[in-house]
Amino acid sequence: MAPVEIRNLSKRFGHVEAVKNLSFDIEAGRVTGFLGPNGAGKSTTLRALLGLVRPTAGTATFNGLRYEELERPSTRVGAVLEDAAFHPGRTARNHLRVMAVTGEHPLERVDAVLAEVGLTEAANRRVKGYSMGMRQRLAIASALLGDPEVLILDEPTNGLDPPGIAWMRELLREQAERERAVLVSSHLLAEVAQSVDDVVVIAQGELRGQGTLEQVLGGDTEPATEVRSQDNDRLARALQEHGHGVQGNGDVLLVLGATPDQVGAVAEKERVHLTGLAPQSRSLEQAFFALTGGETVTSAETATSAETATDGEKA
Amino acid sequence: MSALLRAELLKLRTTRTFVALVAAALLLSLLVVVLTAVLGDNFTERGVKSLFTADFTGLFILLLGVMGMAGEWRHRTITGTVLAAPDRLRLLAAKVLAYAAAGALLSLIVTVTIMLVGTIILSVRDQTTVGLLDLEDVLWRNLVVAALLGALGVGIGGLIRNQVVAIVGILVLQFVEPTLFALVPDVGRFAPTSTAPSGIIQLVIGDDDPGDLLTPGIAVVVMLGWIGLFFAAAGVRLRRFDLV
Repeated sequence: MAPVEIRNLSKRFGHVEAVKNLSFDIEAGRVTGFLGPNGAGKSTTLRALLGLVRPTAGTATFNGLRYEELERPSTRVGAVLEDAAFHPGRTARNHLRVMAVTGEHPLERVDAVLAEVGLTEAANRRVKGYSMGMRQRLAIASALLGDPEVLILDEPTNGLDPPGIAWMRELLREQAERERAVLVSSHLLAEVAQSVDDVVVIAQGELRGQGTLEQVLGGDTEPATEVRSQDNDRLARALQEHGHGVQGNGDVLLVLGATPDQVGAVAEKERVHLTGLAPQSRSLEQAFFALTGGETVTSAETATSAETATDGEKA
Repeated sequence: MSALLRAELLKLRTTRTFVALVAAALLLSLLVVVLTAVLGDNFTERGVKSLFTADFTGLFILLLGVMGMAGEWRHRTITGTVLAAPDRLRLLAAKVLAYAAAGALLSLIVTVTIMLVGTIILSVRDQTTVGLLDLEDVLWRNLVVAALLGALGVGIGGLIRNQVVAIVGILVLQFVEPTLFALVPDVGRFAPTSTAPSGIIQLVIGDDDPGDLLTPGIAVVVMLGWIGLFFAAAGVRLRRFDLV
């Protein structure tokens, strides 16, 4: 029995069928990327799994038990949802103390997870003064409090700076190495490609692909690079002058036919300061595009908007 | 349940809201008691007892209960709370008990303080004071009312969810209920936020003037009925609600 099993899951909101007959498993010791465009039904699926929304049909279970049936659920499942919220007047330490008491965890775990997410120094500050990245780290600390067997993260890199994103990748791998089952939804394919073993792709509420990253999205290996800079317009023009295709015009550019080294060289020549640089398989993008019926997730506009927008099914 | 209850009490202690409401209730109640004790004359035993029931704990604990539950939606913390405690009815029950306890504590602090200060002022002015047994009688009635109103506040907050609407509604009821009681006492005396609680308090002022209020025993039962009603309605709504 897999740690997480979703069987024939469907959820309808009024006339909108957000999730349609979805089935997949998550295995222990692996990081599984849960991919789909905004409004694909990712958040609804995760919330059904966590007992926050009632499925119209089907089941979502942890070792055969629904989330509500788990004894001390925070020792079995840790979750970070996209809109993690905290009482603004409570300090991070006190938030975690409340969570520890609720989950019947030893209070020593509070300082341990604060250290793990790098919030020890800010632990006694009220959350209302926290940046988005700090809130995200606090949400992750809450999820880790019970040292759970399953970790579910909905868009966990939102608000994190590049070092934070790198830290997140390490965390995901470390959890998998400890035989934890990790399910992470993301709209940034480059981040998923570097962190996950398996992928589940959905669009319009339906399963479009499932398996290892190579099985589902693998293909030719023409290089591509995702880049963020302080002057994307100038960088895009320069890259195009060097013969590279460039997609997106927000805070993320996808450069086709170029390795990170080549993009870095152009940026250096143009004296454009880079804030993020990551290799990406072009085929990954194209395969995803094909799987989701033309709805891509890696363009700059979705990368930007998804940080604040909620999925369509929540409206 | 005990872990949930401890967590809810910890939540109360780790924001400034509870301290602020204790301070506000204490200051307002002290102001009324000090002014009355200093400026009033010819106090009777009944008047002194009445003075010590004139605290503002009830309103404040009612508002605290509303904020404790409706605030989960206002601050969008309800998702995290339900994730930590997926049995939503147990969660609601823990909140009800926690705010009942908080109400009793708030009332204990306020009532003991106003009794102490009021008695000192009245003694210095050679006015009538009341004995320990009478003070104890006033105290437990105040505690019961505050505990019941704390629990009621959670039920109201769970049902209405919009914190501003719930608070404004309660403030409006503070005017509507006495008016209803004056116009139609047979109906008004059952009202939950002020007239039914007054039934629990009323006999403290003597058996000679029970008025149209409910007797304390019946008033407690009526209040428990209101709490049960709001708890059931809030519970049904909470269980059916998709947290998207």
